[in-house]
Amino acid sequence: MAEPAGFYTDTTVCIGCKACEVACHQWNALPARNGGEVPLSGLSYDNRVALSDVDWRHVKFIEQFSADRTRARWLMMSDVCKHCVNAPCLEVCPTGSIVRTEFDTVYIQEPVCNGCRDCITACPFGVIHVSAEKHISQKCTFCYDRLQNGLVPACAQACPTRSIEFGPIAELKQRALDRVGQLHGQGASEAYLYGADAKILGGLNAFYLLMDPPETYGLPAAVQAQVPSRSVWPASVKAIVASLVIACGAFVSFGRRKREVAMTEGKGGSSR
Amino acid sequence: MNLELNTSIADPQWHGLIVWYFFLGGIAAGAYVMAALADLFGDTDDRPGVRVAYYIAFPLVGVCGLLLTIDLGRPERFWHMLIQSNTGWPMFKWWSPMSVGSWGLSAFGLFSFASFVGILTEDGWLGLKRFSPLASRLRTGLTGRLFALGGSLSAFFLGSYTGVLLTASNQPVWANTTWIGALFLASAASTGIAAMVLLDRSLKLDIKESVIEHLEQLDSWAIVLELVMLAIMAISLGRLSRFAFGTWPGLLIPAFVVPVGLIFPLLVKRWADTRSAVTASIFVLVGGFVLRAAVVGTPLPILSLTTVGR
Repeated sequence: MAEPAGFYTDTTVCIGCKACEVACHQWNALPARNGGEVPLSGLSYDNRVALSDVDWRHVKFIEQFSADRTRARWLMMSDVCKHCVNAPCLEVCPTGSIVRTEFDTVYIQEPVCNGCRDCITACPFGVIHVSAEKHISQKCTFCYDRLQNGLVPACAQACPTRSIEFGPIAELKQRALDRVGQLHGQGASEAYLYGADAKILGGLNAFYLLMDPPETYGLPAAVQAQVPSRSVWPASVKAIVASLVIACGAFVSFGRRKREVAMTEGKGGSSR
Repeated sequence: MNLELNTSIADPQWHGLIVWYFFLGGIAAGAYVMAALADLFGDTDDRPGVRVAYYIAFPLVGVCGLLLTIDLGRPERFWHMLIQSNTGWPMFKWWSPMSVGSWGLSAFGLFSFASFVGILTEDGWLGLKRFSPLASRLRTGLTGRLFALGGSLSAFFLGSYTGVLLTASNQPVWANTTWIGALFLASAASTGIAAMVLLDRSLKLDIKESVIEHLEQLDSWAIVLELVMLAIMAISLGRLSRFAFGTWPGLLIPAFVVPVGLIFPLLVKRWADTRSAVTASIFVLVGGFVLRAAVVGTPLPILSLTTVGR
């Protein structure tokens, strides 16, 4: 098995050039929506708005202003599938379409997927969408075909500021920790890593260096991203208890009715 | 907006057909459970009611299978739920409610089909009259009792797993409570009985008045259980219940399902005449459908935020 690979995205050096989006579209031959016509969203420089079936990379633009609007801060973040260590989509997939590759990434086998969309309910990051053309689930493949041929994923290759870095997970984590230390040393004490440790779904193979709480970037807090199987047993036990209540209720009720009928017939018999 | 809500989700588009599946599957499961329990604990007076249940369970579950298949993005690959397309081995993941549900639905399909054929045979339909005594013997013997037990277990499963399926996700509200399965089961029982009563009254079948009264009583208990489940679910959601039951379409639960689909039928049942039984059953069925539509739709307000927030 190859070494686990991942993305480390340093949002502090993202300039919002969208080269990653373009490279992803180009390599994966992803079609343009609306015949290439892009309606303006009114959300900063972000007209792609969200990840979708044909947008597997999405650069988020977050504008923050002070109350009097004299000061502003612009956060940018290239969003992608997190290739979670305990991937909820992979866990729930009933067809076995979603698999873990030899690079520890999460991959949808297109010929197996039947478009049930259970993976969409499971993903806490809103990554997976159903293709309007293929009618199956779609998301970042981590450029599986490129990895198999020893190439760097297209987005990381195209990133001009090295905001998106690709490599072995252990190496990336060390690099990210060093960068956090550097930022803290420069006084940016708010810098932290999101998804580098095991708190969120056992760890995210695409993790981030962020400067604000996750919610600011449209990312869920650790408590909001859980493996779906955590609730299968508690929910099942409650359903079983409800079943027993109904069965016992029916048992008692049928028994009582039988006794009543027997009593009525007995009275009828004695009166005759 | 409550910060406990994850606004980073995508819409699975489990809307129309899935809601109908949850509703019709619930009726089939509820009716079958009552019929199987009547087979186990009831007497000969219950037979006409049992027949009605077995006559409706299999056609309904057939419709359910059709709805689920049509709803798939690639319907021709429906069998991938049960068979691994690349190896031919069975596809089963006990930790995935949809995988277990596919097998559970298939099992219920087989049980309800066998019961359907059994009733057809006993009633002498399709030229099967000569096998009628054999079918009766099988039903009343040990085989029949074991079969009713297995069938009721599969029906209990079908009535509840859809709620567990919603819970095993990361969608707001669905994932924040583990009571949806129990709630759907109580609703399945009440709608299943309501369908049996409605069919008897509408088609003027030969179910004894005492049996109908008994079914009505069971339905009342199921409705009370449903109300209790709803209350527990609201408590389990904590602060989120304000979002779940205070925004569209979850708002329909306190505004319509509880007063019109549950409490009103309970009150109507107290009138206890033929027309009231029909009225109560109609309201229970409408309430059961709206309940599922509202529960399935509870994350929808978040989805509108998802687009705006990004």
